Amino acid sequence: MRTKVILLALAVAALVAAPAFLSPGLVNASIQMLIAALFASAFSLLCGQAGMLSFGHSAYFGIGAFATIHAMNAFNGAGLLPTPLLPLVGGLLGLVSGIAAGWFATKRTGVYFSMITLALAELLHALAPHLKEIFGGEAGVSAMRMPAWGFSFGSNVEVYYLTLGWVLLCLLLLYLYTLTPVGRLTLGLRENTHRLRFLGYNVHRLSVLVFAISAMFSGVAGGLQALNIEAANYVVLDMQLSASVVLNSYIGGVKVFLGPAIGAALMSFFGYAVSDLTRSWLLYQGVLFVLVMMFLPDGLVGEFAKRIREGRFGLGWERLSAGLLFAVALVLAIVGFVCMVELAQRFFSTDYRSMIVGTPWPPVTLFGREWLPFSPVTWGLPLGLMAVGLGLLNFASHRLDPERGGVS
Amino acid sequence: MSTPVLSLHGVRKSFGPIEIIRGIELDVVPGERHAVIGPNGAGKSTLFHLISGQLTPTAGDILLDGLPIGGMAPHLVNRQGLARSFQITNIFPGLSVFENLRLAVMRRFGLDFVFWRRASRLKAVTHLADELLAQVRLEKRASVLASELSYSEQRSLEIGMTLASDPKVILLDEPMAGMSHEETEYTVGLIRDITRGRTLLIVEHDMDVVFSLSDRISVLVYGQIIATGTPAEIRGNLAVREAYLGEEAS
Repeated sequence: MRTKVILLALAVAALVAAPAFLSPGLVNASIQMLIAALFASAFSLLCGQAGMLSFGHSAYFGIGAFATIHAMNAFNGAGLLPTPLLPLVGGLLGLVSGIAAGWFATKRTGVYFSMITLALAELLHALAPHLKEIFGGEAGVSAMRMPAWGFSFGSNVEVYYLTLGWVLLCLLLLYLYTLTPVGRLTLGLRENTHRLRFLGYNVHRLSVLVFAISAMFSGVAGGLQALNIEAANYVVLDMQLSASVVLNSYIGGVKVFLGPAIGAALMSFFGYAVSDLTRSWLLYQGVLFVLVMMFLPDGLVGEFAKRIREGRFGLGWERLSAGLLFAVALVLAIVGFVCMVELAQRFFSTDYRSMIVGTPWPPVTLFGREWLPFSPVTWGLPLGLMAVGLGLLNFASHRLDPERGGVS
Repeated sequence: MSTPVLSLHGVRKSFGPIEIIRGIELDVVPGERHAVIGPNGAGKSTLFHLISGQLTPTAGDILLDGLPIGGMAPHLVNRQGLARSFQITNIFPGLSVFENLRLAVMRRFGLDFVFWRRASRLKAVTHLADELLAQVRLEKRASVLASELSYSEQRSLEIGMTLASDPKVILLDEPMAGMSHEETEYTVGLIRDITRGRTLLIVEHDMDVVFSLSDRISVLVYGQIIATGTPAEIRGNLAVREAYLGEEAS
């Protein structure tokens, strides 16, 4: 318990100190990470705690974003709604739309619930371009952040602190929620709605409530996004955002409180860092998701928490060396795989096709080296690296698993 | 005989053209342990579903303490004072044993949409959950996940959860199904203990259990109750022997 508190305090301190050490580009990326973290946490209240997988959460994020943008234009960041309080509007509209949509969606459970959320979000997405007054058509709606409370909100460092404040507050509220009676009942909703009903609880009302709270915090996240980029476009309602919040949350682990937030922060940083380097970053994201689901079904944070609980971090030379071998093997396999993908991507690109004039086909450049399309080295080297890496991984994971005769 | 706490009059239930329950008359008086027996397919489970609100009767009245509950939603039936267990264990597998009981107890205090209090600081709830834990003899397993309990422990837990709302009537649907001889003996003892002074309606296949546990027995055959009486009366009833017990004896 005490270690947890110390770790949390350190994390918060690091978040507060971060802008002093980061370039403007990275501060911007951090804002995105914070927003993604809040959105994933809001989503996981519904998905992880209540066991209802929504495929349409972009709708509530988007509604929050548009509500906030319109409020920015209406109030000019003054009067009743100074700039720092604007995400409240996003939260409010998220809540209201969550009650309405949740009332229908939670009439059903399981796949049918997911399909209704998906349909509602797609409905909004299809409708949005036609409602120019509200969603601003192709161009979207933009607004200006106005100074308030002695801050200009002109630099993105100030926006960072505003976002950080909101995200920390919302995460705290979401955490406190889990401790209340209704928070405990939410877990019952995931575990067995049938039993809950026969214990005398109104399951539908409870589901709508959880749905609405999840939508409300999603709306706050959307509002923060609108504040940050000073615009909202109906693209935000797209299925892609709904899908990525699902993936992010599961990569982090939906059953531990901070899992989704950390997963989302990691993945949006991954997107930021890798999307500049390669065109195949969505593929890497997908592969990462599949691997996490196959080998760490509880998610990165979930798995970590589980191992700490089970005390599986015993140190010792044998275990340490096996762990080191595991890490090296992982790097080898990743390098091999990335090489493969990047080479394939280059050879199959339209740019390359236009370079072909007669024979022999020209080489491509990758990692400061020339690679010929038909040379055995070009394909043998990455494949070899991958094979060696995977072999070692298999060996190392056996050594690390006490149940299969490894060291503990 | 005192006024019945649960009574059924002319209750019928059809699924399409097939009538499963064909005019049931049943009175359960306060404080008795009342068993419903009958061959497979007689409609015992359907009867329980009708009483607990999972199904709506096609015709007839179901009265709980004089109040009609036929066709009422399950959670409202529960709030009127009727709790049940299921033939297939029905608990919260991923939560601790204590948490299972706490969720069951909270409803009794009307704590469902409460945001402003910590669940762990609700003294009355914790106290009652601990009490139930002791009653179903699971004190030592309080922090274990319900899914990790043995089968008979899970059944005990579910019985504990049905007690949580302090119901007027408890329905147990085959609580001993799938248990070994020792487990059955243990569970019969448990049920006898915890239903002292309460009203119990039970469906059970094990005839030894039924005859030793119940004060009165009703025999359900093809959707109708053909006899109700004390264990001795039922044993001596010719129609019952022909329809049901006789088959077992031969």
